[in-house]
Amino acid sequence: MGEGGKKGGGIFGAIKEFVYGVAAHDSARFALKTRASMEHLFILITMGDMLGVPILPPYYSLRLLPYVVPQIATWKRRMLREKDLTDGLA
Amino acid sequence: MNAVLVLVLGFIVFFIGYRYYAKYIDQHVIKADRKRATPAKMYMDGVEFMPTSKNVLFGYQFKSIAGAAPIIGPIIAIQWGWLPALLWILGGTLFIGWVHDYSSAMIAMRHEGASFGGLSHRLISPRARIILLSFIYFYLLLIAGAFGNVVVSTAISLKAAPMAWLFLTLAGILAGQMIYRWKKDIVLTTAVCVVIALIGIWLGTVAPSDMILGAGLSSNRLLWALAACVFCYFAAVVPIWRFALPINYVASYIVFLGLFFGMIGIFVLHPSFTLPAVTTFTIGIGPVWPIMFVTIACGAISGWHSIVSSSGTARQLEHETDARPVGAGVMFVEMMLALFALVIAGTIYATPAAYKAAAALGPGAIFATGVAKFLGVLGMPQALGKSYGSVMMVVLAITIMQLVIRFMRVATSELLSDVSVVFKNPHVGTFIAGLLTLVLIMTGWWQYLWILFGGANQLMASLALMLVTAWLMSEGKSYAWAFYPMIFMFITTIAALCYTSYSLLWKVATGVVKGEALVGNTLMGLVGFFLVVAAVALGVEGFKAFGRHRATRASLADKPAGA
Repeated sequence: MGEGGKKGGGIFGAIKEFVYGVAAHDSARFALKTRASMEHLFILITMGDMLGVPILPPYYSLRLLPYVVPQIATWKRRMLREKDLTDGLA
Repeated sequence: MNAVLVLVLGFIVFFIGYRYYAKYIDQHVIKADRKRATPAKMYMDGVEFMPTSKNVLFGYQFKSIAGAAPIIGPIIAIQWGWLPALLWILGGTLFIGWVHDYSSAMIAMRHEGASFGGLSHRLISPRARIILLSFIYFYLLLIAGAFGNVVVSTAISLKAAPMAWLFLTLAGILAGQMIYRWKKDIVLTTAVCVVIALIGIWLGTVAPSDMILGAGLSSNRLLWALAACVFCYFAAVVPIWRFALPINYVASYIVFLGLFFGMIGIFVLHPSFTLPAVTTFTIGIGPVWPIMFVTIACGAISGWHSIVSSSGTARQLEHETDARPVGAGVMFVEMMLALFALVIAGTIYATPAAYKAAAALGPGAIFATGVAKFLGVLGMPQALGKSYGSVMMVVLAITIMQLVIRFMRVATSELLSDVSVVFKNPHVGTFIAGLLTLVLIMTGWWQYLWILFGGANQLMASLALMLVTAWLMSEGKSYAWAFYPMIFMFITTIAALCYTSYSLLWKVATGVVKGEALVGNTLMGLVGFFLVVAAVALGVEGFKAFGRHRATRASLADKPAGA
């Protein structure tokens, strides 16, 4: 429930969002994190040379490149972002 | 004093604090700007950085910070009388608690969603980051030990609790399967699994643990401590969607319904406080200052909130102006939860002796008795109400405990994988975390363990406020509103940790404690002193940084315009 979530107007919409936040938002975030981790690992294997980690021969990387283009900016930011232990807690 | 009056006082403090104080700081000091791009928008990755409705985040923040701590703290602290506890809950939240939660979210938001390790590196020093991260590991260990102790004492004192806990676990596992494997409708899944959990609560009353296991085994501490650790072991190593998250999902309905109807029960019954307003300055666990100020942690101020606010919420806030309702607003709601617990502890026992006898069994027994009393007003039988209260307490404690053990497993891998690759194995990290927790549960007296946890928690809060103060100084903003709370919390918590650690180790040195208590006292005393040393070292680094930021601002002010 991202930006679109705010459109469920009125007090009932707010209560609905609150209940979702209490009960399910964390689950949704962890599901997304798990999926993103796997996708980003795949991109690292196939496009690693963009970060200076060449793993696959460029031929295969080039074949896959058109499918990966939309995610490259997000992937680079996530891979290179400074992380620490407290990230795992929330 | 009537309990309803206490709740009304809480609402007044909520209104004044949120409507005036927080609004003033938000608009005139921080200058939150609705149009400024937040990290959630700038770095949106659809995962961690994602603009989210403030209503959803309100629920998320509440669920993340409201564990067992705001309930257990007031239940213990009432030994000094309900008045000091009431004043600290109201005053602590008004002047410190919301400041801490709100500013932790704001500082992370203004630093591209950086977490506390990165912020301490940037605003204080590289050494501060290392100290902070090592401090956090022991802080988490104390959380696991203190909350594990609550689970064990509740399972022993309330024989209905284990069956309810078992059914809740099964309902959670089923919920995970239904949602993620079988792709069933979420409403159907919720209805089925919550009903199964409720059946478990009822079954607990007709088939209590002493009937199934016998009187001896059902009161065995080691058995329930192992059960808690095994539960956390699965939560740490099994994919999170299969075990930990769906159990939390089902549990959230049980807890939420209990709190909602319990609060209504208080208004219907409107009992008066039966325990004295003030007892003595010093009780068995220590003097009112500094010990009470760490005993009631989450209901007034808690360092845990800063981690949730910075690493979780700040990365999802859609607008800067949402930080006030989510950061400050939720803290005031948690204050109401602490007042609820204070009312329970202060009104359900006719005499201090009756309270003392109940307290010997642990905080779970007191809470469950209170829940039973207030749900009883709405027609729920006492035995069922007690079973409901017991599972609420177990759930509130174990959801945090499992998260902490999972995190300690990750921390072990991060910190020790260079020493040996064996530490990269998730089972090894979980085993170490579980074993340390088990030792604390089995050997530590729950009230001392709680104080140490509270001390570490409050120290974490003062360190967060130190980061906020350093940031405000570096920006040339007014900083007194964060600086003075930080000084108060820093001195108070160091005093509390020193007092408690000294008391524990003194008993070891003089031979007052033997056997298991000897191990527990030594371990807790040493962890307490380690936390003090780490906090002092971090404090020194912090004050050096304050000097640096002030000097930088002064030199900028001295430069002529356009130079």
